[in-house]
Amino acid sequence: MKEFNVINSRVPRVDARAKVTGDARYTADLSMPNMLYGALLQSPHAHAKILNIDTSAAKKLIGVKEVVTAKEASPIKFGLSPARYDEMMFCMEKVRYVGDEIAAVAAVDPDTAMEAISLIKVDYEELPAYFNIFDAMKEGAMLIHDDYPGNINAEVHQEFGNVEEAFKQCDYIRTDKFVNKKQDGAFIEPQACLANYDMDGNLILYSSTQAPHYVQRILSMVLNVPIGKVRVVKPYVGGGFGPKASASTLELTACFLSMKTGRPVKMVFNREQVFMHSRARHQFFHELTTGVKKDGTLVALKNTCYLDGGAYSSFGIATIYYAGSLLGAPYKLPNMKYDGYRVCTNTPTCGAQRGHGGVAARAAWEQQLDIIAEELKMDPVEFRLKNIMQRGDVTCNDFNMSSLGMKECLEAVRDGSEWGKKKGKLPKGKGIGVACGFFVSGAGYPIYRSDTFHSTAMIKLSEDGGTADLYTASAEIGQGSDTILSMIAAEAMGIRYENVKIHSGDTDFGVDLGAYSSRQTLMSGHAVKMAGEDVKRQVLGVLSNTLKIPIEDMDIKDGFIIFKKGNVDFSGLRSYYIKEHRGWTDQPAGDKLTFKEAARIAYLEKGVVVGGGAYKPGELGGKYKGATVGTSPAYGCSAQVVEVTVDMETGKITVDNMTDAHDCGFAINRTNVEGQMQGSLSMGLGEALFEEVKFDPNGKVANATLGEYRIPTALDMPNVKTIIVESDEPNGPFGAKEVGEGAIMPTIPAILNAVYDAVGVRINELPITSERIFMALKDKEKK
Amino acid sequence: MLLLPKFDYYEPREMSEALKLMSKMKTSAKIIAGGTDVLVNMKKGLISPKSLVNVARISELSDVEPSNGTISIGSGLIVEKLTEFDIIKKKLPILFKAARVLGSPLVRNRATIGGNIVTARPAADLPPALLAVDAKLKLVGAKSSREVSLDKFFIGPGQTVIKPTEILSRIIIKELPPFTGGDYIKLGHRNALEIAIVAVASRITLDSPDGVIKEARIILSAVAPKAIHAVSAEKALKGEKPTAKLFEKVAKLAAGDCAPITDIRGGAEYRRAMVAALTKKTLMNALNEAKGK
Ligand SMILES: Cc1cc2nc3c(=O)[nH]c(=O)nc-3n(C[C@H](O)[C@H](O)[C@H](O)COP(=O)(O)OP(=O)(O)OC[C@H]3O[C@@H](n4cnc5c(N)ncnc54)[C@H](O)[C@@H]3O)c2cc1C
Repeated sequence: MKEFNVINSRVPRVDARAKVTGDARYTADLSMPNMLYGALLQSPHAHAKILNIDTSAAKKLIGVKEVVTAKEASPIKFGLSPARYDEMMFCMEKVRYVGDEIAAVAAVDPDTAMEAISLIKVDYEELPAYFNIFDAMKEGAMLIHDDYPGNINAEVHQEFGNVEEAFKQCDYIRTDKFVNKKQDGAFIEPQACLANYDMDGNLILYSSTQAPHYVQRILSMVLNVPIGKVRVVKPYVGGGFGPKASASTLELTACFLSMKTGRPVKMVFNREQVFMHSRARHQFFHELTTGVKKDGTLVALKNTCYLDGGAYSSFGIATIYYAGSLLGAPYKLPNMKYDGYRVCTNTPTCGAQRGHGGVAARAAWEQQLDIIAEELKMDPVEFRLKNIMQRGDVTCNDFNMSSLGMKECLEAVRDGSEWGKKKGKLPKGKGIGVACGFFVSGAGYPIYRSDTFHSTAMIKLSEDGGTADLYTASAEIGQGSDTILSMIAAEAMGIRYENVKIHSGDTDFGVDLGAYSSRQTLMSGHAVKMAGEDVKRQVLGVLSNTLKIPIEDMDIKDGFIIFKKGNVDFSGLRSYYIKEHRGWTDQPAGDKLTFKEAARIAYLEKGVVVGGGAYKPGELGGKYKGATVGTSPAYGCSAQVVEVTVDMETGKITVDNMTDAHDCGFAINRTNVEGQMQGSLSMGLGEALFEEVKFDPNGKVANATLGEYRIPTALDMPNVKTIIVESDEPNGPFGAKEVGEGAIMPTIPAILNAVYDAVGVRINELPITSERIFMALKDKEKK
Repeated sequence: MLLLPKFDYYEPREMSEALKLMSKMKTSAKIIAGGTDVLVNMKKGLISPKSLVNVARISELSDVEPSNGTISIGSGLIVEKLTEFDIIKKKLPILFKAARVLGSPLVRNRATIGGNIVTARPAADLPPALLAVDAKLKLVGAKSSREVSLDKFFIGPGQTVIKPTEILSRIIIKELPPFTGGDYIKLGHRNALEIAIVAVASRITLDSPDGVIKEARIILSAVAPKAIHAVSAEKALKGEKPTAKLFEKVAKLAAGDCAPITDIRGGAEYRRAMVAALTKKTLMNALNEAKGK
């Protein structure tokens, strides 16, 4: 049994006070002297040629300081994957969706900026627009991008084992289709940024982002400013869930306008712009064929998926791979084939969202597994347990499950929900369902090809020894990384949590790829742990010289120096410290030497006590094309049981109970782990029951408000029983791995399976609205 | 960012002062109570009044007054209060039920009953319940005042018979006869912050606990430009003995009494089916209440 003083506890978040009191400043709260406000002109058409742009009236408006279009802006293309840089700051020849950016204005106040936008005249020639992949793929359809023939933005073809041969060995094979709907990230804080370019050529951007590092690189590349002169700062962020993990035209424009005017420029999205910018979950059309033996052994899976990607690539190249690679596990499956096609349409661009690429696939497959279990007359839990992977197993696509508490999770939710008493025994209208899932604990590779470190960290001790300043470029976006990293730093140094002061989310503090792919606890955590251990070593080193005690005979715990070989006379040290701080009221006392005293001695000796850490993953599996998407140093996993009531007269579903078990390797902060589990369930519940971005006939988002795009309210959340499983991940700091995204995987299919158990209809299309259930029940009656 | 346009703001303490302001400024001014509709619409640019006259400080507008056989509710009463007053809970349970499902706790703490009526949204929650109990409105002008039946108040979405210079001061409901029961059900996707896909308010009065139906009102909401009576369904109930079979038949008639459309909240076919389902459910609950169960 390991013993810890800080981690594995439930200490309050470091940002709790600031957030609860309203003291926390988000980007939209910031202002600077002499600041201008920027606004964007966005396309009203889904697909149109730009014939002419007349900005003369806008330029003449009093209070307008700058008007820019593609003519003035950088022609350098950007995006996320360098292989598919297909976006420009402003549209050059044509617009590709309602909301595509055409021009921008900087003015003395927001009203003037908006008025100037309305004065810009654009002549368009409308082109045929495609709002679904089937129209976009039709022969003769006009190309949305010249580079993507047939409007196919990317294709993936992978086969592990031999699926056709394997199907021949199967006793039972079935094929099912499944489709979800485009999602919105629905974070509470719309994107906002504030740029300031000074006369020395330094560019600072404050931005509501998940990935300061990627934003910094894109700003540097597109605006041609040396990377050392670009600083991206992330203030408090009100959620991201994926869509904020890349640089955007909003950020580039604010910077560009600041460079043109020499004044700070602030830009803020309204809610409709959040929906138009999107970069949230794709629409996936899956067709899955699964083959099994009579005894329930899984043998082969064929997965075909068409993704509606919207107008540009964004994260889509990763998404298309994830839609294939995140199946198979957590079950032993020797044969798997995947064919993926990402198609461009004239709709907002899709990107990454919690459970990136895998959520729809998981929903489709876990529902199909339930159908198969029923067909084989096996209990769904037993069927899953029969095929379950365990620690040390490697998937057919070479994912190494270096730790995997999947079996423990499944057994925990089975027992925690009293599955045995309920399954098959509930009255009509009530149902229970189960599902499993897994997710990467950090992308194994950066989104651009590089040998860069993924995370660096630096810890500096204050001269009095009382405070450790932790510098990391990681991104706290509400998920709690500042808390986790402070805890890890404290534990690694052996000091108290409250003596760590974290400084994060600033590219001046180091390199960190940011908050996406559930990577920061593992990766930033490693770097911070190394930095903490480095500091500890340095302090003990100086102490060793001073007291003439070997380093190995000392340790630091809970803020005190431990002398392993019994008591040591440190009275000289103490009086030295006290003399140095004459007049201070918080002098050290007691019979233990404090870290503070030791650190002061280290300071007096070295002047600078700074520890450093840097992490990148070691060698990962997979030599095939696309192996860089999905391979990770570790995998988190989870199981859920959901209980529902369905009103047979209206079709309305009420989720009564959720039992969730997640293997996070090791819980650095138990409350935070549970918070991520609850948040994932809520997001999954919304996607299952309510959420869908809808479009009007012209391709404009028809429900671009949080009134008509429905995320669950507190009153829609059932009782949730959260069970933490800890499998001690060898590749994680203190054994920790992800919980941020994996926890969403089983939610949707567990609800689908529970609904089937309640009313006997299978729904293959999300969201499962009351209307969809009602109609399905009616159809069933007819048959 | 959605920005609020500029406007002048008045906060009279007396009704007379408010009426004077309104008769002076007429259509250039708008009354604001809780502001949960007015401010939203101004931010969206749907309306742009030059002035707002806040009636929230006029104390006489936010009380509940029972007096000889009627209950008179001040238009400025916030919706949350409707769910707290004992007299509403006991004497107008249907209004209590409707108030409880309006918006969310936050919205209910600001929204007023008057605002919910005058705003005339097709899916507003309180009008169906108030129509079911035949509420009357007191509209006050600078020179004269009048009483209008709620049945005659709505014209269409956002449109009513109130004049720009008038203020809705009270909602007046005759105490309901014995053996009366009612129910309001709103079908939405979520458990809060929902605009109805369909909502139904039903109310019946029996001539004796085991007698026939003397009076019946069935109000359908979110299936027409304004809340409507299910005319043939109401007729079919009168003079009949209440039975599940009757309610089944009446529910089908109700579905035929409206012409719902397909929009982003739901399809026409589903809505029609839900009118039937909710009519039956509300009638069953109303009957139980009428019988004192
Ligand atoms: C997030 C949100 C959720 C909502 N959910 C619901 C819901 O579930 N159900 C529902 O029915 N509504 C809902 N609404 C709408 C709104 O809250 C209600 O209609 C509310 O009752 C309006 O009351 P108010 O006092 O805020 O009105 P205000 O916005 O102040 O006024 C509304 C209109 O009435 C007029 N008015 C107000 N008082 C008077 C008066 N005494 N005399 C004359 N004219 C007057 C105003 O001039 C204005 O035209 C929601 C609104 C929001 C913002």
